[in-house]
Amino acid sequence: MDGDCGVLWGKVSPWPLGTGDNGVPWGKLHPWLLGMGDNGVPRGQRGLMGKAKSPPFGDRGQQGPMRRTGSHENNGVPRGKVSPWPLGQGTAGSREDKGIRWGAASTGAHGPPGGWARRSLSAGPAGPRRPSPSPAEGAGRAAGEQRCWVYHCSRVAAMVKQYVSEVQRVTKVNVSVLGSWSNSKQEKEESLSEFLEDLGTIFSHEPWIQISKEGNSKFWSCSTLQKHSNNPKEEEIILVYYDQRKVMLSHLHPPLDTAASTDRKADDASKLSAIFDTVAKSKVLFMTDRYDDGPIKLTHWQSDGVEASIIVELLKQASVPACMLLTFLLSVISGICRSRVLKFWPLSFLWSKLSTCEQLGYRLQHLQVISSNKKAQNESQLMRKANIFVSLLIDVALGILLMSWLYRKNRIGHLADTLIPVADNVAEELQDLLQWLMGAPAGLKMNRALDQVLGRFFLYHIHLWISYIHLMSPFIEMILWYVGLSACLGLTMALCILSDIIALLTFHIYCFYVYGARLYCLKIYGLSSLWRLFRGKKWNVLRQRVDSCSYDLDQLFIGTLLFTILLFLLPTTALYYLVFTLLRLLVVIVQGLIHLLVDLIDSLPLYSIILRLCRSYRLAAGVKFRVLEQQDGKPLRLLMQINPLSYSSVVQTYRLPTYSCYPKDSWTSLCKKLFLGELIYPWKHKGEKQD
Amino acid sequence: WQKVLYERQPFPDNYVDQRFLEELRKNVHARRYRYRAVVFQSGAVVQQLCSVCVFVLTWWYMAAGALSPQGLFAAALASSLLGYVLFDAVDGGAGRWASGRTRWADLKSTLVFAAFTYGFSPVLKTLTESISTDTIYAMSALMLLGHLIFFDYGANAAIVSSTLSLNMAIFASVCLASRLPRSLHAFVMVTFAMQIFALWPMLQKKLKAQTPRCYVGVTVLFALAALAGLATVSSVGAVLFASLLLAISCLCPYCLIRLQLLKDNIHGPWDEAEIKEDLSRFL
Repeated sequence: MDGDCGVLWGKVSPWPLGTGDNGVPWGKLHPWLLGMGDNGVPRGQRGLMGKAKSPPFGDRGQQGPMRRTGSHENNGVPRGKVSPWPLGQGTAGSREDKGIRWGAASTGAHGPPGGWARRSLSAGPAGPRRPSPSPAEGAGRAAGEQRCWVYHCSRVAAMVKQYVSEVQRVTKVNVSVLGSWSNSKQEKEESLSEFLEDLGTIFSHEPWIQISKEGNSKFWSCSTLQKHSNNPKEEEIILVYYDQRKVMLSHLHPPLDTAASTDRKADDASKLSAIFDTVAKSKVLFMTDRYDDGPIKLTHWQSDGVEASIIVELLKQASVPACMLLTFLLSVISGICRSRVLKFWPLSFLWSKLSTCEQLGYRLQHLQVISSNKKAQNESQLMRKANIFVSLLIDVALGILLMSWLYRKNRIGHLADTLIPVADNVAEELQDLLQWLMGAPAGLKMNRALDQVLGRFFLYHIHLWISYIHLMSPFIEMILWYVGLSACLGLTMALCILSDIIALLTFHIYCFYVYGARLYCLKIYGLSSLWRLFRGKKWNVLRQRVDSCSYDLDQLFIGTLLFTILLFLLPTTALYYLVFTLLRLLVVIVQGLIHLLVDLIDSLPLYSIILRLCRSYRLAAGVKFRVLEQQDGKPLRLLMQINPLSYSSVVQTYRLPTYSCYPKDSWTSLCKKLFLGELIYPWKHKGEKQD
Repeated sequence: WQKVLYERQPFPDNYVDQRFLEELRKNVHARRYRYRAVVFQSGAVVQQLCSVCVFVLTWWYMAAGALSPQGLFAAALASSLLGYVLFDAVDGGAGRWASGRTRWADLKSTLVFAAFTYGFSPVLKTLTESISTDTIYAMSALMLLGHLIFFDYGANAAIVSSTLSLNMAIFASVCLASRLPRSLHAFVMVTFAMQIFALWPMLQKKLKAQTPRCYVGVTVLFALAALAGLATVSSVGAVLFASLLLAISCLCPYCLIRLQLLKDNIHGPWDEAEIKEDLSRFL
């Protein structure tokens, strides 16, 4: 490539440059790109970022076709043609050019910037067309040259200033000229360096950076000029190379415990995020890619200087009417759901208890999010939409798979046939259990009369239940067939329906549990209150403590009688309560497991996980540096690579919020409730009022 | 020499002069008991012991079938009515007027209580079916002992809790009543327990306050009746019970008066540590 030189510009950082964690001094980065000529910055180029004590600068490299091939060489000689900018002279025909160039930092091959920018921004209004190169003739190296230099300097400076302001307007990032670079094939020229230093006087930036490279070496040498510095000391400069495209596309996730870290760490973290931010903002400058002159690809086309895939375009176009249709359907459905008809008490109670309805509502909400017309504002909203979409897709796919398996070979029929005998079996087991309780269970001595009463009561219930099941038996198969169809709405829906079916089939166990629990609870409260009466004390509701109290004679008498009765009947009631609570807990555990599975499927951010697998640079947790080849006397060269997020933090960050069923009681409070006989509802839905 | 430590004196710190301990007083608040008064007061304890004894005897007779529930019920009813009349006649209606309790209220509570007990007597009967007899006896004995301990004999001590003692007695009566053959027995037993443990002491307190001579006579008669009844059941028991009663009424006062002479409380111008704890919170 031709030798070049140019001006470095980049964003100015207000912060003091400090050293990063790994000892690499940083400053603000952003080498960016600057608009570059038609051939924009090829993606996939390495960029040059430098810092140390100097403000970052960058240069742009440029290359055209390299982007397509995506290859870069480490010794970055940029390939491709560049049209030199007009300016000054240079020996005609010589491959050296000098002038002002804009560099964008992150792109460009490593190595000195290749070409000259020809046009300012492709995305914005075209910058001033540079005048076509006029062969600088030969003024030689004399005074004429000086004059020429001065002429060109001032004119070039004006153009550069205009260009810089345009870039600032389009990308909304504060940029300024930071220094100059030169890459000459031959020995350094005095006039060249003079020219560049003169540029330094025009653009006042403290400190003024100059980097240069000679010959074919890949090592750059940098120097800084402090014009008005107070402590002119030798500054150490480090060059950091990075892959511009990856940094542009990636999204930085700062560590979640920034509050706990020290100020310095937080400071560094914010600097890093500012870098990523700035690179991402200059996306528009990268889009001015030059497309290949090679064979025409059927799947790609070019618009606005950007190459894009036709399929993706078509999908984008088709998604708009699809979204509108979906939004319309959803509004109709939610209108029906919100209608007054469904809000009457028995129905609304039923809807709140069935988990199918919850899941349905949840999925409808998701669909609404996906089909909304608003574009995602930021990265996290986009990821959320994508996660929801992929999750829905997988869910429906699994559901259809399940359905196809279920409807083959008349499995539904078999299921229906086995359902009634299973229910009968369960009822018979319960009857046996009750007979056992009515006798002398486990050698415990029950109060015979109470035992008989309770046992007969529950037996009658079971009898009712069995006759109900037998009444329903002809319709079971048809009901199952139609219910199974709902699996096409998703695997989660099928699981929710399964959980609801289990709840319905074990409804009698729930009833028994409620009876037993209420009886036991009444007894426990009565006993505790009468025990206080026994001792001559009373519960003071106002002061929330136990106080002494003088009771009347008849109160005392009746209270003691009741206390005695309750105390002696306690073992019987407690046993019934224990048995039915255990049964109920069993059913609750089964239902809870199903709900956990549904929750897992709902909340797993599949798209993020797949992204982490395939394009791990998109989710960045931080950066890491690798030391490249060194040479004495030249600045240190480092390669910056993106550190992807770990899978656990991916899941944690992008988890979809669910209507999460989680146990609402801790273990101790659950035990306390069981002991006191209060009804337990171990799985609470968010937004449900507590009973 | 001055009795201060904040001034330098030529004497050592622990020097005392001849006025040492001249402000010491001994047994300033000691009470001087008189034998007859103490014996008179011990009548309350004697009465309670006899009540317990009579109650247990009644239960014994009912369990053995020697006493029919109807007979017991009639006797108890008659004596209750007599006691009721006496209760008001003893102090000429002053107590009733002071407490403001009407006869109608009395009648109401009687009816409520009777109906309740009658309604629950079948339940009471089968309450302790599955519990062994020994347990029932032990529990009843404990409860009656507790009744005696916590009863309000007129002393102002922290351990006294009339509610607790009454409740324990009722609990014991329910335990014992559940061992009787039929529910009518249980009903009568519980009613009788109520009368002898709740109503009789009330009457006795009033008698003691108003007519001490009558009270002494009634106590002696009651004790003799209890002894006679006990003698028909077990002579050894009767002898033991008699000795117990004599010990409590005659021996214990003597011991108390003798021990008073050994009292050695010193009082002086220093602060005394007084225990002001309310022991009733342990109950």
